Amino acid sequence: MKEGKNKYQSRREFVRRAGKVLVIAPLVALPFALGKKTNASGYVWQIDPMKCTQCGQCKTNCVLTPSASKCVHAYVMCGYCDLCGGYLRQGAKTISTGAENQLCPTGAITRSFVEEPYFQYTIDEDLCDGCAKCVLGCVNFGNGSLYMQIKQDLCVDCNDCSIARTCPSQAISRVPAAQQYIPKDKSRG
Amino acid sequence: MKFTEKDLKIIRGISLVAGIFTLIVGFTMIFSYIQLKTINPLDNPALLSVKEQYDKDPGAGNIAEQVRAMDLMARKAYFATRRQVETGSYLLLAGAVVFIFCSRLIAGNEKVVPSIPGVKPDQIGSGAKYRKYLLISASVILAGAIVSSFLLRSNLPDLSGNSNPATPEKKGGRITGKEFKPDETNYPFFRGQDSRGIAGGSGYPVDWNGEEGRNIKWKTAIPKSGKSSPVVWGKKLFVTGAEGRTGEVYCLDKETGEVLWTAPVSDIAGEPAVLPEMDQDAGLAVSSAAVNKNSVCAIFANGNLISLDHDGNRKWAINIGLPENVYGYSSSLLIYDNTLIVQYDAQEKVSLMGYDTETGELKWETLRNGRPVWSSPVMANFNGKQQVVINGNPYVTSFDAETGDELWSIECLTGDVAPSLAVNSTMAYAVTDYARLAAIKAGTGASIVWEDNMFTPDVSSPVANNEFLFLATGNGDVACYDAQAGDTLWTHYFAQQFYASPVIADEKVYILDRSGTMHIVKATGQYELLAESPLGENADCTPAFSDKKIYLRGRDNLYCISGN
Amino acid sequence: MSKKVPYILLLILLIWHAAVFAQDRFPRPEFETGYVYPVDQMPRQRSVAWEYIDVAVLIMALSVTTWLALKKRSRQGLVWMSVFSLAYFGFYREGCICAVGSVQNVSLALFNNSYTIPLTALLFFLIPLIFALFAGRVFCAGVCPLGAIQELTGIRPVKLPKTVESIMAAVPFIYLGLAVLFAAMESQFIICRYDPFVGIFRLDAPYTMIIFGALLLLAGVFVNRPYCRYLCPYGVLLNLFSRFSSRHLTITPAECINCRLCEDVCPYDAILPSNDSGGKEEPAKPRKRFYVYLLLVPVFAAAGGIILNNLAPALATMHNDVRLAREIRLEKETGVEAVSKAAVAFKEAGKTEEELFANELTIVSRFKKASPWAGVFLGLSLGLAMVSLTTTRRRTGYVPHQGKCYSCGRCFKFCPVQPEKTV
Repeated sequence: MKEGKNKYQSRREFVRRAGKVLVIAPLVALPFALGKKTNASGYVWQIDPMKCTQCGQCKTNCVLTPSASKCVHAYVMCGYCDLCGGYLRQGAKTISTGAENQLCPTGAITRSFVEEPYFQYTIDEDLCDGCAKCVLGCVNFGNGSLYMQIKQDLCVDCNDCSIARTCPSQAISRVPAAQQYIPKDKSRG
Repeated sequence: MKFTEKDLKIIRGISLVAGIFTLIVGFTMIFSYIQLKTINPLDNPALLSVKEQYDKDPGAGNIAEQVRAMDLMARKAYFATRRQVETGSYLLLAGAVVFIFCSRLIAGNEKVVPSIPGVKPDQIGSGAKYRKYLLISASVILAGAIVSSFLLRSNLPDLSGNSNPATPEKKGGRITGKEFKPDETNYPFFRGQDSRGIAGGSGYPVDWNGEEGRNIKWKTAIPKSGKSSPVVWGKKLFVTGAEGRTGEVYCLDKETGEVLWTAPVSDIAGEPAVLPEMDQDAGLAVSSAAVNKNSVCAIFANGNLISLDHDGNRKWAINIGLPENVYGYSSSLLIYDNTLIVQYDAQEKVSLMGYDTETGELKWETLRNGRPVWSSPVMANFNGKQQVVINGNPYVTSFDAETGDELWSIECLTGDVAPSLAVNSTMAYAVTDYARLAAIKAGTGASIVWEDNMFTPDVSSPVANNEFLFLATGNGDVACYDAQAGDTLWTHYFAQQFYASPVIADEKVYILDRSGTMHIVKATGQYELLAESPLGENADCTPAFSDKKIYLRGRDNLYCISGN
Repeated sequence: MSKKVPYILLLILLIWHAAVFAQDRFPRPEFETGYVYPVDQMPRQRSVAWEYIDVAVLIMALSVTTWLALKKRSRQGLVWMSVFSLAYFGFYREGCICAVGSVQNVSLALFNNSYTIPLTALLFFLIPLIFALFAGRVFCAGVCPLGAIQELTGIRPVKLPKTVESIMAAVPFIYLGLAVLFAAMESQFIICRYDPFVGIFRLDAPYTMIIFGALLLLAGVFVNRPYCRYLCPYGVLLNLFSRFSSRHLTITPAECINCRLCEDVCPYDAILPSNDSGGKEEPAKPRKRFYVYLLLVPVFAAAGGIILNNLAPALATMHNDVRLAREIRLEKETGVEAVSKAAVAFKEAGKTEEELFANELTIVSRFKKASPWAGVFLGLSLGLAMVSLTTTRRRTGYVPHQGKCYSCGRCFKFCPVQPEKTV
């Protein structure tokens, strides 16, 4: 009886040890397998402005309210036009700062006179909610100096970005944390 | 932790309050959250209607101030709702935490009397039952999954890449499809049969000189000027002209150039008293006439539409409404069977109409989406169906040639759209300046197969066959593309502007510049200039080709160019 | 006249013509008043050092929980540990990155050369598993924020019938298999997408997720730890590793006296009673059963592989490109216009349909190669689960199930045995 019990115990011990080895082996092997594919500083999500189609989903699909993606202005690309395609809505009857002429639904773009005939347009980030209407207008009728970017101080850096998942032109991807923004004026080269 | 009765009462009270508070906050939050996401305060109907009113009449009273006030209110509401949701969520969290904490204290305080459970469960017996259930459910799932997966197999789409029923025939690797072979005598519409810019027949002259008279068979002065192009049927050539408010249709003998008859188009019921807004240089006679074996029809930029027989007798004449549209109405006519197809583009209404050529009755009218354009309709045949395709803003749309029903549409261009489409057996090519050149695979589910924006004409329409696409721009560039793949095969800069549309005839491309000189290149993928023949007079009209002769309308005269 | 002003202006401006589309429509201004271009703010994310601090907090929390569960045996301590983890990993770090989701990052990194996994994600994956190997599921006890929120709201435990329990317990395996598959195929991170509690942690989510989370918590008041028991894919791995742990939580601090007071107290049904007494079967029958089920294991594995191989094209719909290709094909065949934003963007971008369909074929073939492995995994799990049912271990006392026990410590107060006093 005692012998049978010992054989039972030792067989059990063997199975247990074998199982432990089988289970520990991949755990130990994993860091080695992924050794080359590991980076120490991680990723952030960012919009590639050249692929962006200004569909407006950045505002609605971000898990945060308001969205972490906002319009930024590449001033060096701007034409400083009086008739700004990103500031004035299509079919605007006059050129003024009146609400009846503005394109931005939250009034986040401020227009100020610089010198004849140039006007400066700045975005108030606290008001911008990332709807991309001004970006669409600027790309269609202007120089394309307004573009969408994800603000990294607001973004919570989800593992699976819900705007990236639904972006129709797959313009949002993981970028290395060393280069957190994809500015339009630099990428033009 | 032991609490006294009094303590417990207090804790119960707190938890009740916290629970009710959490529920209330929760419900109000859900409400305002749904409000924020669905009825966007920035798009509320009141604001939209005030904006619409402003658009209709910006000068009315203080409508602008009203818009501003509503806009401010809308924006305030939007940000307020957002803030509400934010603070609400913190309140909700606080309430929930208090509630749960109190509940835990209460639950933890309850005396738990340990109990010895009943008979010890029969492990072996229950183990066997457990195994039996698991085995049964596992086999059921397994069987069901296997069966369904085999059923699924047959329903999966065939991704091996073949079986598209209407594949055009392949010819030596290139998809050519049925070649378009127009008639060599009749050139019935603007840009020829089906308005495609391809002429039938062969043996057209390449070399002439208008000033010297070399190879010019005849030259006739047109009484009233216009920008419309000549059209040919049988032995007769038809062209329109206008001066001030009076329009006329002229019929010339195409052999001798003699004016056979002149039909006046004026004093028609409903004709507007004032000339429409348009380019003063162009006049009312901008749209080209359309002719079939029974009738010749013409339309003028004041909305006068007339149908005559080949001898000049008026069948009917009506005014279809003044097409006001900034540059002036300029779409040419098409005839299919006995239906006169009119592309109507005005600020108020954009539509496609079908009139009976014999009676003048409006058979059908289909409203079109988008803004007015200055392109002309093109007849095409895709997948065996005869259709009228229009280059619109922003949609390229195709309509059934008999019933006028919309067949398919694709969003394509923006801005001022004046060039007409180029079509071949499978594709339609849409272009305008400041937008792009887009090659559309035609049919339901139309999609843009390739595009380019290096060379974009503003007025001249491109021309295509199944192999090549040719276009000429207002700068003086002429480009040739691979019609299927979109590669730019060659380009050439002529130092002249191009307004008239290129025509492919006899394997050559005839491109007329504004000064009247015809540049003739080979219709192939390599640039080869065959001739450059001057006219001696400015010309903007696309030429007509018929029976080995070319008919060119200059500013004042109509020329017939013949090689012999 | 004023009506025409914008048109005329537009026309004039458009005549400033750019031959190449990519260049400016309107030339850059040359300022004469010495205007200086303002610089747009591009604020950076918080430094990556903070993420390593999170790893340190993770290790510290796991160590403290181990001590509380195994040495100090304090249920109260474990509860406060849960509160801390909920506050830190849950509300402060907003539930991301977590060990549960890190499974997908590892899967994506293993099967794709284009993705490099952040070191912190890898550490979040490995460290709880290592602790499980040494001390059991202490991660679940007091460190995982999802477990913590369920533990703290699980006040009135109710037991489920065994058949329901056993069927629902199969779901985490399917979830794990699918999550690894979809992550490896670069389709989606479904664990993150369908995480019910992250919306509560962020205090912001699509309202469907908040409702799902709230309902789950409400159910969790009665059926405790519903996510952990019936959904958590990481739990499958922890379950496996915990079975081989060198030390594990015990119900009694010393030797079990078989008083049976703890028999029904575990809300998760993780207490295994002793089986000294009771009818014994002849040893031959269970052994035969054991071998039969052992032989059935490869059958199940193969069947699972075949089923998932056939399901591969359907599973491929998780990938955005495949969905788009199917939408465009449907439009071609039935004429129903494809109106999704992706379809519109595709048409405007001028990409050819050949590219789209070729891409779809590649993705579906990748799925066909990978899905069978997920099926084999599921079949193996089912087969091995059945095999383990045929073996009965002899237990002299009441012990927690080595795989299922979350080391939460609720059973401590029911055991009357005093710890042995060292003299």
